Amino acid sequence: MNKSTRGMSRRQFLKNSAAAAIGAAVAPAFVRDAFAATRDRVTIYHSSVADNMNPYKHSSSPIYGQWQHVFEPLVEYNYKKKDYDGILADSWQFDGKRWVIKLKKGIKFHNGAPLTAKDVAFSIERMKDEKSGSLQGSNFKDVTEIQTPDDLTAIFITKQPLAIFLDRLENRFIINKAAVEKYGAEWEQHPIGTGAYRFVSYQRGGNFVFTRNDDYWGGKANVKEAVFKKVTEDAARLAALESGQCDFINNVPVHEVARLEKHPRVKVDKVEGLRMFLLAFNVAYKPFDNKLVRQAANYAVDADSIVKNIFEGIGYANHGPVGSNVVGADPKLKRYPYDPKKSQELLAAAGYPNGCDIKLYYSAGRYPKDTEVCQVVAAQMAKGGFRVDVVSQEWATFWETTGVNGGKLPFYYIGRGSLTDADTLYDQYFRTGTTKRTNYSNPEFDKLVEEEQKTPDMKKRTAFLQQAGKILMDEVPYIPLYNLADIYAMAKNVNWKIRPDEKVLTWDMAVK
Amino acid sequence: MRRFRYFKVFAGGMILVGLIVCGVAAPMIAPYDPQEQRLEARLQPPAWAGGAAARYWLGTDNLGRDILSRIIYGSRISLLVGATTVILAGLLGCILGGVAGYFGKGVDELVSKVTEIFLAFPFLLLAIALMAFLGQGVVNIILALMMSRWVQYCRVVRGEVLSLKERDFITAARALGAKDFYILLRHIAPNTLPSVTVVATFAMAIVIISEASLSFLGLGVPAYIPTWGSMLSEGRSYMTRAPWLTIFPGLAIFITVFGINLLGDGLRDLFDPKLQRQ
Repeated sequence: MNKSTRGMSRRQFLKNSAAAAIGAAVAPAFVRDAFAATRDRVTIYHSSVADNMNPYKHSSSPIYGQWQHVFEPLVEYNYKKKDYDGILADSWQFDGKRWVIKLKKGIKFHNGAPLTAKDVAFSIERMKDEKSGSLQGSNFKDVTEIQTPDDLTAIFITKQPLAIFLDRLENRFIINKAAVEKYGAEWEQHPIGTGAYRFVSYQRGGNFVFTRNDDYWGGKANVKEAVFKKVTEDAARLAALESGQCDFINNVPVHEVARLEKHPRVKVDKVEGLRMFLLAFNVAYKPFDNKLVRQAANYAVDADSIVKNIFEGIGYANHGPVGSNVVGADPKLKRYPYDPKKSQELLAAAGYPNGCDIKLYYSAGRYPKDTEVCQVVAAQMAKGGFRVDVVSQEWATFWETTGVNGGKLPFYYIGRGSLTDADTLYDQYFRTGTTKRTNYSNPEFDKLVEEEQKTPDMKKRTAFLQQAGKILMDEVPYIPLYNLADIYAMAKNVNWKIRPDEKVLTWDMAVK
Repeated sequence: MRRFRYFKVFAGGMILVGLIVCGVAAPMIAPYDPQEQRLEARLQPPAWAGGAAARYWLGTDNLGRDILSRIIYGSRISLLVGATTVILAGLLGCILGGVAGYFGKGVDELVSKVTEIFLAFPFLLLAIALMAFLGQGVVNIILALMMSRWVQYCRVVRGEVLSLKERDFITAARALGAKDFYILLRHIAPNTLPSVTVVATFAMAIVIISEASLSFLGLGVPAYIPTWGSMLSEGRSYMTRAPWLTIFPGLAIFITVFGINLLGDGLRDLFDPKLQRQ
C-alpha cells in the first residue's frame, strides 16, 4: 500500500487527533451559548413524552400537555379559580341527563376549516372506539348519544345525571373530521388541530417539535418553536440543563433543589402536585380483609417523616382521605397518627399477636424516590408488627391485568394523578365494580358516590364527598400518604407560569 | 525482579484474605446492622470529614444506613458470587476444553463452535439477557455469569491440551497402556493447572465487576441485600450532594479487583517458565 492510498501519515494522524481533542475540549463552551433559550426556540427535556402519534393512545398528564400544543379541549380546569374555563366551548348547561355545550365562534383548524359541533362529536366517537387504540374511552362510558342540532351546539345525552361531566371533558382533544377522513389510516401522521402551535415532526425517543401558529384565535405565543425530548434519567436531564443543552426540565430531584437555587444560569420553580400517593390494600386478600389490620397499618406508617426526610420537606402529607386542596376534602377528618404500639395492639386484636408477613409491591423508577419510600415504609411497618417484603415489578406487569388492574396485588404503592376532585379517586379505587384495584365494596359508600355524581350544587356535592371520606377513614382500604411538589428547572431567562397538572405549555412561557 | 513477583502475589493475596475475613466475619466486624435505617441521621458525611456524628466512619446513606457496615456485608455477595462462579465456570470450561483438545475431531469441532457462539456475544450483554430471563437472585446471578464465563477456560485448556498431548510423557503413558480418562486426569490436568489458576484469578476480578454492574442495573440480587453495585446505583443521584455514597463502594470494588489482578499477575509470572529462567 503506498502513501496516497493510505490517506494519512502517522504524523498527520497524530496532528489531526490532537486538533480534534482540543476542539472537543473547547466546543462545549460555544455550544452553551448556541443553546441558550431564545424566543425562537425552547428545548424541553421531559421524563415523559408521547410514545406514539395517536393523541388518544395514552392517558398521561404530561403527554396531554404536549398534544395540547396542537389540539385543544372543550374546557380546562382553572386551578386558581377552582372552576372550569371554556377553551373551545363558549358556554355549557347541565340539565338532567343532558349537557348542552356551545362552541366559540370563528375558531379555525390549521388547515383553514372552521371548528364545528360535528368535529366534536367525531372526536368523542374516536375516543370511545377502543379498537382504534384509544385509551380514553372510559370517560364517556355514560354518554349514550351526541346530538349536533347546529354547527356550534353539541348535546351530550347521559344514562343518568352526570354532574362531573366537565371533569371527563378535560384533556379530551378535538380533531378535524375532514382531515382525518382525507388521510384515512395515515391521519396520525397529519395532526391538524386548532391549537396555538402546529405540528412539525415527531420521532419516537427523539424530538417532538411544534412551531407557532401565527393565526391562533387566542393570540400569538411568545416562543416560536417548542422541542420536547424524552430523557428518563433524572441526572441526565439535570446535566443537560446545566450544560445548556436544553432550557427546561421536569422532575428535578428534591436533593438538588438547594444547589440549583444558587446556580448562576438556572432557576427552580415548584408547586404542589395533583398526584396523590397512597398505599392501597386489596381487601380480597388476607390479612387485609380485616379492618383492624388496615387500621393497624395506618398507625404504623409515618407519612410526615417520609416527606420530611426522603423528600426533604418538599411535599405535603395528606391529613385526611385526600389532599386539603381537593374538592371533597374535610378539615375535620384526620389521618391516623403514627403510633407503632397501637398498631401492634390492633394486630394482636385482629388475631396476629406475633405480627404478620406481607409483601409491598411497587414499580421501581416510576415515581420519585419510590424505592427509598418503600424501604422506609417497610422499616416503619416493622416497628408496628408487620414483616414487610418489598417487591418491585416492571411497570406493565405491575399496572395491567397481571397486577393492580387485575386485582392481583394485595398491597401496593401508587400515585393517582390529576386529582382535583375526590370523586376521581373514590369512583376509581373504592366504588364497587369500577375497577378491581382494591375490591373494596360498601353499599353505603357507593350510594354516596352515586348521589354526589348527580348533584350539580357544589356545596351539596362536597357534603356527600365528605361523608364518603368519613367512611373511608374508618374502614381505610388504603393508607393516604402525600402529594409531592412538581419541581421544574429552567434557564434563568425563561418565565413560565407553573401549573400543578404536570403539563408544560410553551405559550405560558416568555423568553427574555 | 523475582522479589517483586513475590510481592505482587503477597499483596494481592493479602487483599483477597482481607476480603474473605470481611465476608465471613461480617456480623462481628460491622459496627451496625446494614439494614437499620435512621432517617434522622441520613446523608451524614464520614466521621473524619466533618460528620456531626462521630459514629459513622464512612458516613451514612440516603436512608441513614451505615456505609461501612453495608460495604462489609456487601463483600459477602461479591465473594460468594466471585468464588462460586469461578469454580463452576472453571469446572465446566476445563472439562469441555480438555475433552475437545484431547479427543479432537468431531468433539473438538462441536465444542469449538459452541464456544465461538458464546464468544460472539458481548459478555455483559449475555449476562443481562440471562438475568432478565431468570429473574433476580443470588443463584441466578451465579448461573448467568457462569454461562458467560466458562468459554475462557475452555479456550485456554483446549490449547494447552493440544500441545500437551503430543509430548513424550503422554506418549509414554499411552504406551504403558493407560486409559484416556486416566491420562487426562493424572497427566494432563495437573499440567494445565498453572494456566487455569491464572485464568481463574482474572475471571474472578471480572466476575466481581460484572456482579456489581448487574446490581447497578437492578438485575442483581433483591434490593434488601446490600451489594457494592446496588450501593453505587442508589447513591448515584446523590453524587453532587453526598459523594461518599458512591466513593466508598466504588473504592471497595477497585481495591478488590486490583488485589485479585495483582495476585493473578504475580502467579502468571511465577508459573511462566520463560521468566523463571531469567
